[in-house]
Amino acid sequence: MIKWIKIALRNILKNRRRSFVTLLAIAMGFAAVSIFRGYIHNTYEGLRQSAIRGEGLGHLTIYKEGWLEKGKADPDRYMFSQKEFQRLIDLVEENEDVILATPQINISGLVSNGRTSTIFLANGVIPRDEKTIKGAWASFRPVKGDGLSDKKPYGVEIAEDLASHLDLGPGSYGVVMATTLDGQMNALDIEVAGVYDTGSDATNDKYMRVPLVFAQSLYDTEKADRLVVLLNHWEKTETVRNRLLGKLSVAGLRCEIKTWNELSLFYSKVKGMFDMIFLFIFVIVLIIVVMSVVNTMGMAVLERTREIGTLRALGLKQRGVSILFAIEGAMLGLLGTIFGVILNVAVWGVIRIVEPTYIPPGVSTPVPLIVNLVPQAMLILMVFLILLSLIAAILPARRAARQNVVHALGHV
Amino acid sequence: MLLTEMIDIKKDYFLGETVVHALRGIDLTIDKGEFVAIWGPSGSGKTTLLNLIGAIDQPTSGQFYIEGQEIKRLSDNKRTELRNRSIGFIFQGFNLIPVLSALENVMLPLEIRGASFSKAREKALWRLDEVGLSDFVSHRPDKMSGGQQQRVAIARALVTGPSLVIADEPTANLDTGTSKKIIGLMRNLNEKEKTTFIFSTHDQRLLDQVKRLIRLEDGKILDGGIRK
Repeated sequence: MIKWIKIALRNILKNRRRSFVTLLAIAMGFAAVSIFRGYIHNTYEGLRQSAIRGEGLGHLTIYKEGWLEKGKADPDRYMFSQKEFQRLIDLVEENEDVILATPQINISGLVSNGRTSTIFLANGVIPRDEKTIKGAWASFRPVKGDGLSDKKPYGVEIAEDLASHLDLGPGSYGVVMATTLDGQMNALDIEVAGVYDTGSDATNDKYMRVPLVFAQSLYDTEKADRLVVLLNHWEKTETVRNRLLGKLSVAGLRCEIKTWNELSLFYSKVKGMFDMIFLFIFVIVLIIVVMSVVNTMGMAVLERTREIGTLRALGLKQRGVSILFAIEGAMLGLLGTIFGVILNVAVWGVIRIVEPTYIPPGVSTPVPLIVNLVPQAMLILMVFLILLSLIAAILPARRAARQNVVHALGHV
Repeated sequence: MLLTEMIDIKKDYFLGETVVHALRGIDLTIDKGEFVAIWGPSGSGKTTLLNLIGAIDQPTSGQFYIEGQEIKRLSDNKRTELRNRSIGFIFQGFNLIPVLSALENVMLPLEIRGASFSKAREKALWRLDEVGLSDFVSHRPDKMSGGQQQRVAIARALVTGPSLVIADEPTANLDTGTSKKIIGLMRNLNEKEKTTFIFSTHDQRLLDQVKRLIRLEDGKILDGGIRK
């Protein structure tokens, strides 16, 4: 085998210009796919953190069965009572992968500064649990002001654009109004404890975060509509969901569990779009690589017809000839992807030094353009392109192998 | 002892709708250890005959045996194995692999057979020494003269220890002096190792060195086909 690898390598070096063009096509293709893969890897990572930590979705959200379908029409019936969610928390926190299980409630209504009013959507959370969920993410989008506190139940956080519309800032006061679960009108005073950026134009003018007890008080209830569960690793999301579903069912609690990616519409849509673009780029690269290798190997077979005849006369079987050219194709793939890795690392280094930023659609502030180096994905792509080059070489190689020996020897 | 036997061998080529009768009924026997020249003008069928004897081509009709095996009954793989094991080839254009050195070219048939690198190297060095090319082992073909390349080809043909070496016009691309040396070298190896050599030529000046001459014309053997 070493002999055939040696022959393949020497033939690649012999036809330097042609091999260079093919290697360049493979290297550029590899780098393009790998850099884009590194970019979307970073984007997915950011979006995942944004959904789990930033949006506060945690990894899993547990609802009472029927809430997602009929909860809007009859919320009281499909919310967890205090006794129920306490039992749920006890059961869920028995799982070693669970860091936290915390009840939350979504509310909506009107918020006023005394002169003007506008609608709001708010998430009722336990402030200390919310801090745990946010974790290090909190420093990425810091809250202006003191933020939520268990000690100040009427202190709320308000999204930037909403605060701006109402001319509210940390320390200023307002009023929120909503209908209780019984259908009565209720109003409560608020103090703006913090102003924050949701990161999205679509939500920055209507979102608020309020303490759970405040939200319950506004809705005149002691219930919560969901239990948010934070895990020690996002990759365990699916496993823990299945485990919890079994456990809750055995305990007689009829619940539905949604994962963070099922709830984050933004994540799903962006991922879908990027996956499609990735597939598009990948198919283009695939075609370029296949055509380059087929062309190069086709030329090689044509030029070396007499050599093939000689090898066959000396006792090399048809299969051996196929293997010889397939190895040459695979070597082109290997060398091309090695150059591709070098190109990829070089571009990655330049991006790290230049630190470019851009504003993605729907995002309120510039974000840095970061490309991750993903060794596992690079290795998979490398193996894939080598195999692809090998397969692309098999077609001309089979043609070479099946040639009549006498005709091949007589080829000029 | 009989090495090859041909009985009423015919070979036709089809050029469009035209049939070319390259061989028109050849009866030929060759014994082990012979040194045979096939002589005839261009187009007489010399190369076709050698291609058949070398088992790289199939006759249109007739029976052909090498070492007692009927060639047309062998699969492509079996014929290929037979060539590697029992037949050495020397080509008019040398046909060395351009990216390999002289040593690597000579090692090639052994490595195709699956011999270890060290064993193949040892045998190839010995063969190159035998043809007087010990100082050229690492030279690539494009750095050697025609005569040197043909000697590498002879070493390559002999390295597997074949019972038969076929040389199609081995001196056609060489000057007279070098041609005589090449034929002389083949003759010496034939006498020393009792390897059968069959070569074609249309150069009458080389014929004084052969023990047996087969004259071919228009696809038929005029004389020398069957040894009396």
